[in-house]
Amino acid sequence: MSEQPVRIAQITCGAEYSGIQNEITTAAETVGSKMFYPDVALKDVKCAYKDFGLPVKSPDLKLAISRAQAIVEGRIEADGIFIASCFRCAEAAIVRNELRRYIVENSRIPVVSYSFNERTGASTLLTRLEALTTIARRRSLMAREVQVGTTMGVDSGSSTTKCIIMQDNEIIGTGWRPTTEVLKSADEVIALALEESGLKMSDIEATATTGYGRFLVGKHMNADLVQEELTVNSKGAVYLANAQKGFATVIDIGGMDNKAISVNDGIPGSFTMGGICAGASGRFLEMTAKRLDVDITELGALSMKSEGGEDVPMNSYCIVFGTQSLVNALAAGYKREDVAAAACHSVAQQVYEQQLQEVDIKEPVIMVGGSSLIQGLVRAMGRMLNTEVVVPHHSQYIGATGGALLASGFIDKKKEA
Amino acid sequence: MKPYVPQYVGTITKYVFVDSPDTTPQDIATAAYEIAQGVMIKETCFGCQITGSPEDVERIIAHLRKLDPYRIYVKDRGFPPGDARRCRADLGGARPGYLGHEYEMGLVRYIAYGLQETDRMTPEELKAAAGQEMSMPKALDIDILESLMKEE
Amino acid sequence: MAKVFIYPATSLILSDLVARFGHQPLGSAISIREHIQTPGFDSPPIQMTPDDPQKGLKWAAVEVPSGIRGRMSLYGPLVEEAEAAIIIDEPDLAFGCMGCARTNELLAFMLREKEIPRLELRYPASKEEGVTFVAAIKEFLKNLEVQQ
Repeated sequence: MSEQPVRIAQITCGAEYSGIQNEITTAAETVGSKMFYPDVALKDVKCAYKDFGLPVKSPDLKLAISRAQAIVEGRIEADGIFIASCFRCAEAAIVRNELRRYIVENSRIPVVSYSFNERTGASTLLTRLEALTTIARRRSLMAREVQVGTTMGVDSGSSTTKCIIMQDNEIIGTGWRPTTEVLKSADEVIALALEESGLKMSDIEATATTGYGRFLVGKHMNADLVQEELTVNSKGAVYLANAQKGFATVIDIGGMDNKAISVNDGIPGSFTMGGICAGASGRFLEMTAKRLDVDITELGALSMKSEGGEDVPMNSYCIVFGTQSLVNALAAGYKREDVAAAACHSVAQQVYEQQLQEVDIKEPVIMVGGSSLIQGLVRAMGRMLNTEVVVPHHSQYIGATGGALLASGFIDKKKEA
Repeated sequence: MKPYVPQYVGTITKYVFVDSPDTTPQDIATAAYEIAQGVMIKETCFGCQITGSPEDVERIIAHLRKLDPYRIYVKDRGFPPGDARRCRADLGGARPGYLGHEYEMGLVRYIAYGLQETDRMTPEELKAAAGQEMSMPKALDIDILESLMKEE
Repeated sequence: MAKVFIYPATSLILSDLVARFGHQPLGSAISIREHIQTPGFDSPPIQMTPDDPQKGLKWAAVEVPSGIRGRMSLYGPLVEEAEAAIIIDEPDLAFGCMGCARTNELLAFMLREKEIPRLELRYPASKEEGVTFVAAIKEFLKNLEVQQ
């Protein structure tokens, strides 16, 4: 890679002693960035700790506060910030959250926060650091607000593959298929989108891929942009929801994991990704639909027949226990619609408890991805956050749309070349 | 995972710090070089680091301590000197331990005075001094005081 | 010569005084050196791997954060070996190995719980306190010789 590595400031507590420092360094290097420790003097530590006003006891957390302050005040330059601390440490969790908030409010530097244990590997960190690196390196690309020319985006997700063709800021072709074989599914959705738009592949001026299969599909179709889904989805979301200026929060409950992204002027500021168990993901809702004998596309309508299902005992913290709760609720005589609503409520609750605590929720809250079409889930999330959740048109095509939008940045470059 | 083959197995490394109006870090390093006999000496901004067999390192330290008995301080180090894993140039910033040293080096002038005074004491006087209460309240840190004055 | 655990385990002052008065200081550097000089898998910077927090389970339960368990795997064996301890209260500016307040609390507790000679004091804040500080440590270490 000829580009200069993106410099990511590491503000962590406990990484070396958890035995995972090498995993962090390796993940950063894999995505073309370099971790560094912001250099502060003892005097800075003492004063930062006093000025910040959070009287923590752990010296390494005092050091973390001082390092963050040195970056925000411009004494040390960084392209991105990685804040992390040990999972289950309350003191560090408070510092992590407050530092993230402080950085987002006082600087334009992208930040990701994470809690680790000794099992955290480089692969877990990879997508997060890739997104952080992208935001830092491709700020001008990310700033695009209008689609131009004729472009295509392909989102090769864990459950479904999607394709969008855009022309002059309008969606003119769509394709959607469950993911079976990655390349075959991609070819199918591309063919569907081309057919709907009435175009040929040679009419497409630039392409982008995202999602789990992005590298494989990107190579297959020689894509101009191959990009992780955190940045692409958030871009697609604010574009479709017409919320490109100011703050927004994007929630994507996916088939395998969930993303919560805090966006400012169309550019992701902080984000989380994960989900301890499939119980807190779209997968649990698929299982619910199967058990209730309805198609997943009908689960939303069914759940809306219920008031919310909050009184049905349901815990999707673990998908195994969650499924057991489903069976028990039905056996106890609860109505199918109440059980459907309870499943939606449970997933929303897990996402709220596990992930939304790591980003600042600012309105509008935009839900995207296939699960955003399940009205019961959107309603449950809205109640949880006490806000009207926005679901933009084509929300299930969010990654593909974001890809098509960002791909238009490559048209001029190709013409120049 | 890459295998790891350690270097300098069986050696020890010690930091030698000096905080004195009479002896410079360079004096310490020069004196250590003079009797090094092949032992690895690395001059630093605070004194030097010595890496070798435990006997060799102790021999050199015993010699160095004589130069300024109350103002030379020695401590074990886990890493050999210049190790890229701990080097400021590679990490972008100081390893955390550096700041701890910085803190304690601000206090060693009291230790130097204590060492000098206790050296002159009889066993009874030492016992009496050891039994003194350290009742003075913790003084306001000088850096904090400075920042408060700036705020005013 | 007694093995004296120093707390903060990274202390230059304690390490120096214990060795100066003829005893062996036990601190972080001893354990880190062992990691750095042991072949295995490459895990920079301090050659600690996910196995270390697992070893730490001997001293802290699984619900204790990994950073604490990892640090305890460094300190636990040294505490077991220790024949005496010098503890400085509130080491609020010792970083890295001593950078976690929760680990430090557990470590100080383990040292207090162990039935070994123990001296507890705080950093001196004046020349006069420097005399008391050094005298207390010197006297404590001298008595260890007598006991041995």
